[in-house]
Amino acid sequence: MIKILLYLFFILFLFTSCTQNETKELKISTNSWIGYTPLFYAQKKGYLKDINIKLITNVSLAESTAFYDVGKVDMLTATQHEYYSLKNTGHDLIPIILLDRSNGGDMVLSNKNITQIKKAKKIYTYLEIDSINAEIIEDFIKFHQLDKKNMEFINKDQAQIQDLRASKNKTLLVVTYSPYDITLKKHGFHVVASTKNMHSILVIDALYAKNKLLKTHKKRLQDLKNIIDISITEIQNNPHSSYKLVKSFLGDISYNEYVESLKLISWINKPSHKLLERIKSMGYDENRLIQ
Amino acid sequence: MKNISIKFFTFIVIAILFTSGMYIFYKFYLDSKNTTEHLLKENIQYNLLDIKYFLNKNLKKDNVNQLKAYLNNIVYSNEIISDMHIINQYGKLLYATDGDKVAFHQKTHCIAISNITEFNLFNQKCYTFQIKLFNKLTPYYYTANIYLNSNYLDSLLKNKMIKYTLLFITYIIIFVILLWFIVQQFIISPLEQLRQFAYYSSKVPKSFLIKEFESIRYSLKLTFQRLKQEQKELYKLSTQDPLSGLYNRLSLIEKMNWLISKSKRSQAQFVLLFLDLDNFKNINDSRGHEFGDKVLKYIAKILIASVRENDIVSRLGGDEFVIILPDIEDNKAILEVIKRIQIALKEPVEFENSKYHITCSIGIAIYPKDGKSVIDLLKNADIAMYKAKALGKNNFHFFTENLNVEVQEKIKIQRLMYNAFENNHFQLYYQPKVDIKTNKIVGCEALIRLIDPKQGVISPNKFISIAEENNFITPLGEWIMTEAVQQIKKWELTEFKHIHISINVSAIQFKDQDLLQKFRKAIQNIDPSKLDIELTESVLINNFAKKLQTIQGFKELGLTLSLDDFGTGYSSLSYLKNIPFDTLKIDKSFIDDLKNKKDQSFINMIITIADELGLQVIAEGVEHKEQLEYLKKINCAQYQGYYCSRPLPVKEFEKLFKEHNCP
Repeated sequence: MIKILLYLFFILFLFTSCTQNETKELKISTNSWIGYTPLFYAQKKGYLKDINIKLITNVSLAESTAFYDVGKVDMLTATQHEYYSLKNTGHDLIPIILLDRSNGGDMVLSNKNITQIKKAKKIYTYLEIDSINAEIIEDFIKFHQLDKKNMEFINKDQAQIQDLRASKNKTLLVVTYSPYDITLKKHGFHVVASTKNMHSILVIDALYAKNKLLKTHKKRLQDLKNIIDISITEIQNNPHSSYKLVKSFLGDISYNEYVESLKLISWINKPSHKLLERIKSMGYDENRLIQ
Repeated sequence: MKNISIKFFTFIVIAILFTSGMYIFYKFYLDSKNTTEHLLKENIQYNLLDIKYFLNKNLKKDNVNQLKAYLNNIVYSNEIISDMHIINQYGKLLYATDGDKVAFHQKTHCIAISNITEFNLFNQKCYTFQIKLFNKLTPYYYTANIYLNSNYLDSLLKNKMIKYTLLFITYIIIFVILLWFIVQQFIISPLEQLRQFAYYSSKVPKSFLIKEFESIRYSLKLTFQRLKQEQKELYKLSTQDPLSGLYNRLSLIEKMNWLISKSKRSQAQFVLLFLDLDNFKNINDSRGHEFGDKVLKYIAKILIASVRENDIVSRLGGDEFVIILPDIEDNKAILEVIKRIQIALKEPVEFENSKYHITCSIGIAIYPKDGKSVIDLLKNADIAMYKAKALGKNNFHFFTENLNVEVQEKIKIQRLMYNAFENNHFQLYYQPKVDIKTNKIVGCEALIRLIDPKQGVISPNKFISIAEENNFITPLGEWIMTEAVQQIKKWELTEFKHIHISINVSAIQFKDQDLLQKFRKAIQNIDPSKLDIELTESVLINNFAKKLQTIQGFKELGLTLSLDDFGTGYSSLSYLKNIPFDTLKIDKSFIDDLKNKKDQSFINMIITIADELGLQVIAEGVEHKEQLEYLKKINCAQYQGYYCSRPLPVKEFEKLFKEHNCP
C-alpha cells in the first residue's frame, strides 16, 4: 500500500516537474527598406511563422533602433551606423546575417545642382541624423568640400522627409534612401550623389542580434538564414509575384519602382571573400556570421 | 501487503491533495506572474519608448524647461512611473519631476532599459536610457532615469501573492479540518464502531450515513442475532441432557467446579447424591430402549419435584443421575431429600397399561469431607452407590473411608488378575479325591491360584467374586477348562490316566452363549468322562431353564456333573430330580461338626438320598481321622480334604498320587 502511494507521489512529482517548453517567439525590428525585402517576402510567405519569428515594421531606422534599444525585440535590421550606435550605448549585439549593400539605394537629393549647392550661403539639410544618413552627408560634405557653417541640419524621419517639396528659394539637401526617394523625386528633387557613385562609403545592411541569441537559438537563426537565401532567390527569379507580396511594406510603390529599387542594392547574403575582407575592419567578423 | 490505518491513509490522501493544490496554486501563481510580468514589461517598454521618442525628437540643449509640463503629465498620469530625471552629458540633473534635485534617488540602481527582463521586473526600481543630441552632426548624450512606483509594482503581484497565499493556506487548513472531520465522523468512527461491534458484539451501532457501512452494520447485526440464537441452542445442547432436560455431565462438572470454588471461600459443604436405577437394564432389555427412555423422563420429573429449588439435578448417562445439594449442614437434610425421592418412587408407575415398581440406589458423598474435586466426589459417590446396591438395592449409603479402602483393594485385585492373566501367573492346584474304602486317590478338584511374583499366592476367595462382578470369570473359566483338559491329556498315557478332574463353573459363565461349544471343542481329544463339572446351587437359582439346557448339553458331551456345597443352599431336591448329577459333594460345614448328632443325621440323610438316586457322594473338608472313620462307617464313597492333602501343584500332586496309590 505504502509502495503504491509512494509511486503516486513520484508520478505527481514527475507531473509537477514537467513544464511546458514552448519555443519563444523571436522578434525582428525592421523598417521600410528595399534591402529588407527578403524578410517582408518571408513574412508574407509564412516562412517566418514556421520558425516562430515575428517581423515588426517601423517607419524609420531610428524607430526600429529605439525598439531594440528598449528591449522590445531580439533582432533588428540596420546599417553599420545603428550597429555602432547601439554598441556605443552598451548593447551586446552582433551582425549575424548580411543582407545587402547599398548600390545607389542611399542617396543625397537636392532641388539644386552641385554647383548651386556649393555656392549657396545657406543649405537646409534634411536627414535622420541618427542614421546612416549622417555618414552619407558627411561623406558628401567632405567630397564636395562644403562648409558646415552654411548648413543647417534638420533631423526628421524619412516619413516626414518624403513630404518635402522642392523650393526655388531655398537650397535643400535631402539624405534619404529607397523607396522614400521615389516620392521626393516626384516632389522635384533629384539625385546629386548616391552609394552607387560614392566609392568612399560602404553601406551594409544586415540582421543584428543579441550576442547570446546566437548561442541559445542557433538552429533557428540558421533556419532564418536559409529562409532569407530562399526568399532572395525567389525574389530574383520572380520579381512580379514577390512585388505583390511585399509592396505594402514599401509604401505601395509601383512594380516598376520596385524593380528599379531592387537595382539600387546588391544582395550580400552570400558575400564574396573580398567583401568580407573589406567589412572585417568594420566589425563584421566572418566567423560569427551565419553562412 | 502491509496494513495502514485509515488515519494514515487519510493523511496521505490529504498530503497528495495538498501537494496537488500547491502545485495548481503554484502553476496559477506562475501563470499570473508571467502574464503580469509580460504586461508590465510591455507597459514599461512602451512608456519608455514613448518618452524616449519624445525626448529624442524634442529635447534640445537647454530646453528642458519647455518639456516640463509634458514630462510631469507623463509621470502624474502614469501609475507605474513615480519620477523622471533628465541628466546632461556632464551628469548634472537638469530636471526631476518630483522637484527633488538633490536626493537623486540615492541607493537606487538604474539599469539600461534594454536590459529589462521579466525575472527582475518587480525588484528593479529604475530604468535608464540615453537621449542622443547633436551639435550639427556630432552626437552627445543626455540621460533619462525613469523611477518606477514601488507600491504599484508590489500591488500587482507581491500583495496579491501574499493575499492569495494566506487565502490558500486558510482554505487548506479549513479543508483539512473539514476533511478530517468528515473522515473521522463518517468513516473512522463507523469503522471503529463496527470493529467494536464485531469484537464485542454487545452494543449495536446506530444507523450509518454511508450505505456500505450501513450494509455491513446490518449484516453484522443479523449475523450476531443468529449467532446468539445458535449459541443459546448450542449452550442448551451442551449443558442439557436432551432426553431428560436435566443438566448433562459437562454442565454438572462446570457447576460443581463453581460450587467447589464458592464453598472453598465460604467454608460451606455440599452433598452429591449418586443415583442409579435398580435393574434398569432389565427394563431396557425386556421393553426396549424407547420404553426405557420414558422411564428415565419420568424419573427426571420425580427428581426435580423431590429436590429444593436451588438443588442441581443432572443425568450423567444411562440410568445414572447426580443430585447436588448445596448449603447442607447436617445429614438430616440429606435424608429428607432421599426420603422424598424414595416416597415418590414407592408408588408404582403405569406405562402402557403395565405397572412397574422402580427403585434406585443412592451413593452419598459430601464436600469437602469425601473429596475436594469433582472427580473424587463423583468417584466416591459412585462407590457409595455400589455399596448401596450391594446391600440389596433400593437403598442409600454414605461414602466412608473403609468403603474406599474396600474399593481400592478391589481395584488392586482386578489389576493383579489382569496382569496375572497376561503374564501367566495363574496356576491350577489339584486337591485329591480319595476312595474311602481303598484309600486310593481317584480324582481331584482343580482349583485356581493366583501366584503373584511379589505377593505370593493369592486366595481365590479374594478374586473370584471380583472376577464374577466384572465378568473376568468368563475368560478365566475358559482358561481353567483348557488347563484341566490339557492335564487330562497329559495323564492319558501315564499311571495317572484314571484320574478324574473336576472344575468349577460359575453362574456368570453360563451367560456365555458359546460355553457349550467351547467345552465341545476343548474335550474333543480326551475321554470326556474324565472331566467333571462342579456346580453350586447358587449357579442354578436364576434362569434355571436356560441353564438346564446347557447342563444337559454338558451331560450329552459325556462330562460328569457334581453338585457342589450341597446342604448349604436351598438343597432343593428338584435340582436332583431335574439335573442329571453324578455326584453330590457334602459341604465342609457338615463335616466340621460331625460330633454334632444333628449334622450326622443330615449327612446320613444325604447319603441315603444319594444312594437312592444312584449318585456318588463326596465329603468335602475332611481334616481328621475321626471324620474319615465316621464317613467310612456310613458308607460315604469319597472324601476330599486336608486329611489327605491340601490342593497341590501338579508335580506335587503326582508325587502324592504315587505315594498314596503305589506304596
